[in-house]
Amino acid sequence: MKDILWLARRTLIATFRKKSSWIMFILLPVAGILVSMMIYGGGTGGTLRVGIVNEDGDSRITKDTLSFIQGMEQAEVTVLDEESMKQKIAASELDTGVILEKGFADSVRSGHPEGLTLVSLKGAQVTAYLKSMLNNYVDNIAAIGLSAGADQTVFDKIYNGYSQKSFGMDASVVEDTSKAKNMTYQSLGFLIAFMMFSACNLTELIIKEKENRTFLRILTSPISARNYVLSNVMVNILLVMLQIALTLFMLKQVFGINSGIPAGELVLALMLYGLAAISLSLVIVAFAKNSGMAGALQNLIITPTCLLAGCYFPVDIMPDSVRKIAAFLPQHWLLQTVDDLQNGTAFGQLYLNLFILLAFAAAFAFIAIYRFSRNNDTRTFV
Amino acid sequence: MNVLEIHELTRKFGDFVAVDNMNLKVREGEIFGFLGPNGAGKSTTINMISSLLRITKGEILLLGKNITKHSRFAKMNIGIVPQDLAIYEEMTAYENIYFFAGLYGLRGNELKERTAEALEFVGLSDRAKELPKNFSGGMKRRLNIACAIAHKPKLIIMDEPTVGIDPQSRNYILNSVRKLNEMGSTIIYTSHYMEEVEEICSRIAIVDHGKLIAEGTKEQLKSSITDTKDIWISYKSEQPLDTERIRQIPGVTQVLDDEQEQLLRVWSKAEINNLNLILQQLIQNQVEIRSVDEKAATLETVFLTLTGRNLRD
Ligand SMILES: Nc1ncnc2c1ncn2[C@@H]1O[C@H](COP(=O)(O)OP(=O)(O)OP(=O)(O)O)[C@@H](O)[C@H]1O
Ligand SMILES: [Mg+2]
Repeated sequence: MKDILWLARRTLIATFRKKSSWIMFILLPVAGILVSMMIYGGGTGGTLRVGIVNEDGDSRITKDTLSFIQGMEQAEVTVLDEESMKQKIAASELDTGVILEKGFADSVRSGHPEGLTLVSLKGAQVTAYLKSMLNNYVDNIAAIGLSAGADQTVFDKIYNGYSQKSFGMDASVVEDTSKAKNMTYQSLGFLIAFMMFSACNLTELIIKEKENRTFLRILTSPISARNYVLSNVMVNILLVMLQIALTLFMLKQVFGINSGIPAGELVLALMLYGLAAISLSLVIVAFAKNSGMAGALQNLIITPTCLLAGCYFPVDIMPDSVRKIAAFLPQHWLLQTVDDLQNGTAFGQLYLNLFILLAFAAAFAFIAIYRFSRNNDTRTFV
Repeated sequence: MNVLEIHELTRKFGDFVAVDNMNLKVREGEIFGFLGPNGAGKSTTINMISSLLRITKGEILLLGKNITKHSRFAKMNIGIVPQDLAIYEEMTAYENIYFFAGLYGLRGNELKERTAEALEFVGLSDRAKELPKNFSGGMKRRLNIACAIAHKPKLIIMDEPTVGIDPQSRNYILNSVRKLNEMGSTIIYTSHYMEEVEEICSRIAIVDHGKLIAEGTKEQLKSSITDTKDIWISYKSEQPLDTERIRQIPGVTQVLDDEQEQLLRVWSKAEINNLNLILQQLIQNQVEIRSVDEKAATLETVFLTLTGRNLRD
């Protein structure tokens, strides 16, 4: 342990002596938050552009549902047909679409609502509040319908009282958290991409030290190769924790963005992901023959997988087949966890996600260890 | 007492035998010269002594203890000065030594003292706070040595510590090797410069093709080859010499032509009188001869005779 700490001490000092490290470990995650704020904070001024397709004619419930959406403070509603709605969503002219299918009003009236579909390309988090508001609204009417039974006058009476309530206030509050959620999601997307890059950067030190032969000098001392790698991993974990803490602190305390996620659970998920990132970087280093190759592998692996998993923009834009690949990427499972946490899925149900992240970390670590133990004997020192 | 004993040491790379059944003893207080042409297996041997390479067969004892079984003990008592620099360019000279000495468990004041001592020893005290980036080749080599000696090892192994540096640094290093030795360290010294080895080493081993082919003091080695003579011919010629012709003269074993110095060296069997033939050959080629001298046997002669190769090709 004394050995490991001594090595770790040097690595830390050498790392933070380089300006590039400060950029990599500190500046980039913060820049990620700023970029996310620019994407989701400004521009459309927080309005949610909703397209509505009405296939259910103009019964009262349908019309009220329409005006309910229109009445939401930040919603900017266009009524149009399904085809052009999909086009506009694809072209980012609309954020989300609502389809009221034929028979919607009747099904609500009868107490078993169906035929309400939400379409969105921006990821569930964009429409989460709209969805929850709508569900709430429709469920309430359905409940009235259920309790009124077949008696139309009873229904009308309760319904009149109900529909006069204003939802404006509620909607605007929810709108704000949704924006914050988007910013959080995007910031975390950037963060986990940077985490992977910085983990690789630090692990690459092993190769660099092999190249400048200090690694072999270290091995002629009573330090074992295993402890040497462990010290690198230890520093890496430390820096990952630092990045996570810094990003979450900046998000909440400095930029005042409420992630809408319990902090402890988010940190746990991010830590597990961090372990996976570190193990992956070990795999890269174990297979690379020199630092040039490690750099190339790093770019070849990290950038595309981060794209696929949706670190840089929501994955919903991509075709289904591509999205399936994302299931094989740790980044996907971290973002999935964030998404689930934001949408209020109970933490217990997230065990699977977390377990998968842990499994990624373990699998990568095993591959790296196996590989390290095999190319033990090709060292040349003198 | 033997600081190092190597018994029937063998190392194979696949089917290739890099070190072949080698036996060697280095006594306490020696400066031991370890010589051999390129690919002889010197580095492979040193790598096994320093536990960087696994031993295929045989055993190495350091101060009587098997280095595989007592790996920590062995590593604590050995200091390796690698042929290629192994220092951190982005850390100061002081920090380099401080870090590497710390690997041996030194801490606190003791570590600081040892670091300062090592710096002083290689004459870098006034450059302690500078980065090796800005050092000359010779200074880097000196730092490379300092990093290996701060923990005061019993055995110091130096692989070509003077390669490619200015004469001043070189003298400095040779002197410090002697000083280290006087202070109680046993030293194994590898070099391609025969004069150096002749100057500082008390005993010498010559290896070739992974095998030990000679071992002894300079005098012992030299007396073993009294049947060879070493002829130095200083000449003047615009054209390069045709050494192949000279090599074919009966008795000649090796020819070396230093074009810059305009000096031709011919090794030949002592009992054959062929000087006339050699000179005739040169004169026929319009070479102006300035002086001819027959030298006493040198280590170089020993080496050439035994290995048939020059150390510096
Ligand atoms: N890892 C390895 N794999 C295969 N062959 C090797 C390996 N290391 C060394 N060799 C071979 O073993 C032989 C001895 O090499 P070694 O480096 O010990 O020679 P050396 O005496 O140090 O030579 P030099 O004076 O050039 O440094 C060489 O033929 C070399 O090619
Ligand atoms: Mg060598």
